[in-house]
Amino acid sequence: MTCAELSDIYELYALGVAEDDEKIEMEAHIARGCETCRLGLADATALNVGILNLVEIESPPSRLKRRVLASIGVEKPGWGWVWALSAAGLLILSLWLGLQERTRTNELADARNQLMNTQGQRDRLNQALQFLSDPQTQPASFGRGTNAPPRGYVFLHPQMGVLLIASNLPAAGAGKAYEMWVIPKGGTPRPAGLFQSDGRRGLHILSGPIDMAALGTIAVTLEPEAGSAAPTSTPIIVASAS
Amino acid sequence: MTLFLKMSLASLAFAALQVVMRAAGDSTLIRRLQERDPKALSEVYDRYGRLVYSIIYRIVRNPSLAEDLVQETFLRIWSRAASFDAEKGAIGTWVLTVARNRAIDHVRSTDGRLQAGAMDLDRLENTSLFAQLGTDALSLDRMRRLQEAFQKLTPTQRQVIDLAYYEGLSQTEMAERLKQPLGTVKTWTRSALKLLRDELAGVAIA
Repeated sequence: MTCAELSDIYELYALGVAEDDEKIEMEAHIARGCETCRLGLADATALNVGILNLVEIESPPSRLKRRVLASIGVEKPGWGWVWALSAAGLLILSLWLGLQERTRTNELADARNQLMNTQGQRDRLNQALQFLSDPQTQPASFGRGTNAPPRGYVFLHPQMGVLLIASNLPAAGAGKAYEMWVIPKGGTPRPAGLFQSDGRRGLHILSGPIDMAALGTIAVTLEPEAGSAAPTSTPIIVASAS
Repeated sequence: MTLFLKMSLASLAFAALQVVMRAAGDSTLIRRLQERDPKALSEVYDRYGRLVYSIIYRIVRNPSLAEDLVQETFLRIWSRAASFDAEKGAIGTWVLTVARNRAIDHVRSTDGRLQAGAMDLDRLENTSLFAQLGTDALSLDRMRRLQEAFQKLTPTQRQVIDLAYYEGLSQTEMAERLKQPLGTVKTWTRSALKLLRDELAGVAIA
């Protein structure tokens, strides 16, 4: 294809939605240092971002900035009303735990302590409570029968998604993060979000509907802190959904 | 289907505000990010956080999930800032592209659409591409021209733009979704992009 023909799809290529044959042609031009296509792609990227910039504006919750900054290790949360809200949530959580087996109670109590650590996690607690209190939620354990490695529970809900609570989970380390994967039966792992451990415990929620019938396994691997498109290390948590 | 860009005066005013804020100079901000100054990320959030959330929310339509993806977006900006050319780059274009790609990546993975797509988007976030863009890529003048151009698109042209930008569909996938011949979808898409391109042609990027 000529540069003139490719110019029709510069924007689509920059969006990652060009057809396969067009991608191959485009990349061949780029690889041979085609100046026309390089400049065309730069203009297309500017147009794409301009279009995105015209989106209808929504207001994010004010806590989101704290959560973003907490994820890089700054913006320590204040306590005060966070404690009160967390305590109320934890009371409900404790009542629910009373109905469950004793071991689960102990592990979730561990998670309870972790939930008090940051304000961002307080929000997650509310989500976790919704998970735990909904009759459609299905638990699946992992790490049973092992000594030191991570163990805990995965809770699955067809509308709310996946809640992972793990104990014995060491800190990911500098430049690293834990990444959860959703693996359909007979399928390939799909990225399901990044999270950190406080050195002992980790909690992660994948929000949104999941296909319970098709779901095979939930796994966690250690990845670079920006995440990976596919697992690059051996899973340290594997929980079967069945 | 909901068509995108209910462009209100409020959103244009917000865009204007953003432009004024961006004028403060991206290069200093990028340099501070590269020096791992957490306040720099805080500033990037102040400039672009609302827009990032809006774009992601527009794609995933789930507030809680949008928050997760906003966090991932800024984590990625933080961890990859070192590769950005502080002298040439326009950080806003990069931040918005990363935000859109994170959300599209999520939608594709939950739809079970090609894992390879994730690698495509990752490659298209290469910071060297954004080093070629000036800081005026999001100028108020360009935004105004784009907004006017959108008013000229037909409903079908807006629909295919919506599907490409906010659902990450290729033209073949659009044809299947809309139950229209591929040739028709290509005509709609390419004529829409040409119109938008032509309307911006007279507005230079610094």
